[in-house]
Amino acid sequence: MLTPDKTFAKGWTLGYFVGLLGFAAFAAGGEPEPKLGDVSDGSRSIAVHAIPLLAADPLEEENVLKITPEDELLLPFSTRLTCGDCHSYEIIGQGWHFNAADPNVPPGRPGEPWILAEARIATQIPVSYRAWPGSFRPAEVGLTAWQFIQHFGRHMPGGGIAEKEVTDPDAIMRQFVSGRLENNCLQCHSADPAYDQAEYASQVVRQNYRWAATGACSFASVSGSAVKMEDTYDPMMPEMVTDPELIPHRPTVTYGQSAFDHKNQVFFDVPAEAPAERCYFCHSHIDVTEDGQNEWAMDEDVHLTAGMTCTDCHREGLQHQTIRGYEGEDIVSENPLVATSTCEGCHLGTDSSAPQAGRLGAPVPDHPGIPPIHFEKLTCTACHSGPWPSPATHRGKTSRAHALGMHNVNTSPDVLPHIVYPVFASQQPIGAGYLRTLYAVRPDAKIGPHKLIWPAFWGTVREGKVTPMPLETVRAVVGKIIAAEKLSPSGGWPRLTEQDVTEALAALQKEIEDKPVYVCGGNLYQFDSSGQLSVEKEHPAARPYLWPFAHNVRPAAQSLGVRRCEDCHDTDAPFFFGKVAVDSPLDRERESATKMIKFQDISALYAWAFAFSFVFRPWLKVVVLGSCAIIAAVLLLYGLRALACVARALVGQG
Amino acid sequence: MFRGLSIAAFVIVFVGVLVHLIISRPRADRLFGADRRARVLDPLRVLVFLLTLLFIPQKSTLAGALRRLICLLALLCFVVLFVTGFFPRLFFGEVISGYWLMLHATAAPVFAVCVALLAVMWAHNCRLDKNYWPWLKRVLQLQTTSQAEPEKHELARKITFWLVIFLALPVMSSIVLSMFALFGTYWQELLAQLHRYCALGLALAAIVHIYLMILTEAKRTAV
Repeated sequence: MLTPDKTFAKGWTLGYFVGLLGFAAFAAGGEPEPKLGDVSDGSRSIAVHAIPLLAADPLEEENVLKITPEDELLLPFSTRLTCGDCHSYEIIGQGWHFNAADPNVPPGRPGEPWILAEARIATQIPVSYRAWPGSFRPAEVGLTAWQFIQHFGRHMPGGGIAEKEVTDPDAIMRQFVSGRLENNCLQCHSADPAYDQAEYASQVVRQNYRWAATGACSFASVSGSAVKMEDTYDPMMPEMVTDPELIPHRPTVTYGQSAFDHKNQVFFDVPAEAPAERCYFCHSHIDVTEDGQNEWAMDEDVHLTAGMTCTDCHREGLQHQTIRGYEGEDIVSENPLVATSTCEGCHLGTDSSAPQAGRLGAPVPDHPGIPPIHFEKLTCTACHSGPWPSPATHRGKTSRAHALGMHNVNTSPDVLPHIVYPVFASQQPIGAGYLRTLYAVRPDAKIGPHKLIWPAFWGTVREGKVTPMPLETVRAVVGKIIAAEKLSPSGGWPRLTEQDVTEALAALQKEIEDKPVYVCGGNLYQFDSSGQLSVEKEHPAARPYLWPFAHNVRPAAQSLGVRRCEDCHDTDAPFFFGKVAVDSPLDRERESATKMIKFQDISALYAWAFAFSFVFRPWLKVVVLGSCAIIAAVLLLYGLRALACVARALVGQG
Repeated sequence: MFRGLSIAAFVIVFVGVLVHLIISRPRADRLFGADRRARVLDPLRVLVFLLTLLFIPQKSTLAGALRRLICLLALLCFVVLFVTGFFPRLFFGEVISGYWLMLHATAAPVFAVCVALLAVMWAHNCRLDKNYWPWLKRVLQLQTTSQAEPEKHELARKITFWLVIFLALPVMSSIVLSMFALFGTYWQELLAQLHRYCALGLALAAIVHIYLMILTEAKRTAV
């Protein structure tokens, strides 16, 4: 008979082994099996993708339908099922281009935000799902996920927030009509020159989310607009629409005659490395100050001119953790190549047992005459990226901010948002968040080139904290105050006066409980205790949002300092003393500017004095070299005399 | 490594100077007279004595006055360069930058000129022309040019003088060569290291030289 102690011990032992077995079973079941395309066999040749088009059965989502030209109702193909048949869609969907809304993903270095710009309400405000300091979460400006996709889905590759089930009651029915915007693998990986990313953007604007990827392909076309259909529209039963005005707008897919082969498969030209043209759709930039809209007048990045492509540096594996390429990225990224894919990593190598400098043919820089202190104070991009610094900043446009590449885009140089660059500023810390707690690491105070926008928005202030007002409220109130004749035909700022601001704030005051404010041009406008409009200059809530940029990289012969130290160390050198335009809709602030040095954590007096000292540098060189010559002559003279003494002593002459 | 080495070297030199001073300083009686009053003010008398070393003697010739002025200017520049060059590194572990650097670069050319002039003016007087090492004279059967007996600490003073002059050359040339677009990052770092270590040697030699000069002057003044 077992004693109570032994029974207890036996029970624990049994329980332990049962638990161990259960855990093993759980662990084995939790790891998904890699799919055919997940693991490379090592061949560098491109796998030919002649594959069936697959779509989800609308009646039973787990049921997968193969699309054939004979189908009664031609469905758009699903990238989740078609590509996901061989590639782990869920793993890919956690990649950098899709995970912005995941609060568990560290935000890393601040990057280009989405910019909500509406001239009608004198607003341009940076929004992002990532916790980048200075940007606002979409919910803070009253944007639901559905509205966010409506605004910015045009230049997104789908997935992430666009694929989640909406919770907003107004959008639930719309999502049934439009479908979800899945990860569109083709947006990056299609090498078909006829794959039309602008068409994809148009489909997204029309809320044809289910059809967007198909509509962009060369072997299919999609007509109609889900946005025009009623909430009760069933995409699987388009014949139920009887209104003759709505019938032409039913989203409809047509596949080309020759799209399908004899096996009802379709050929996709999809190399693993995304072609640069695909990246350019979302990541283009144009300088409107110098070149207008003419990209042919602007030199491409020197790396691309040399024959490289974007993915040579911005690499990723199955996990799609795209390398962004900044110093310190290894803190937040698990990509094994992240350390060797920075400027320094490729050109100079990292500390490792084997030499790694000169990757991909990167020249190993000599930097003749540049004191090493520069490499501690400046990023590589400070000297090598962007336009050559000029006395005043430039104005630029980007794909995502200005919808470049889309049909019928406003090409005016003045259209909002106004992005100012290059601004040489101290870099911000890297956000290494962990489980919703954002903490910043590596307070990297290196100076690098940035792009900048001056936020302009209507907000409220409570206990000293300024919060943007929901856009719906602002549109309803301020939209009526700003007269139509004040709007700019080019899409730029309306010409606002302080009187306009006063009227708008007074109207907002009637609609909300908290105190209304208007932020623009770095200043905060509000009513003081006597009810008069007061302005707080350089208010912290009105600080500009900056993000570092690296492209386009100039050739080495055009880098700062290549001519002389005075490229930067001069009393009127743009690097320190250039003017940074302050962008504001207010008339009296239109031409205002601030000094570049304000963004650099350096005393302006010291910078000026140090630059001034370079006037005397040639004299210093002459004087010191002359002194060296005299000292060398004295040492030579007396050294030779001493040598003569020694020689005489050795000879015995004394 | 440089920081640790510098701290150790300066500690050794300053302790050595202190010990040597305690052992061989001239007695206050001989320096200020045995019948002086308020002997508690002796430290102040020492300070005044040190201050008088900075003055140009009334009966000095023009050349002599010029030499004294250049010495004083060199001393002042040396102090500025010493403080601005070593203070950030030794106390904060930082590379010299900011206003320290500007002050350092302002005093540097003046010091360079002074050292060059001192080299010209003092080289002849600092020849090793006396019988400093009798054993060497016997071995090499040397005939010294001067039959005068060497003063106490004269050899050490002359050696430290030549060390200063000799080390001034790499200190100055390393930093001025780095200002031309001749050397890449690797050589720039090497030149910076050369500048640092030679400056350390120069500073140590200069400290010892200045100490010996003061000691010699004090013994000459002593009754």
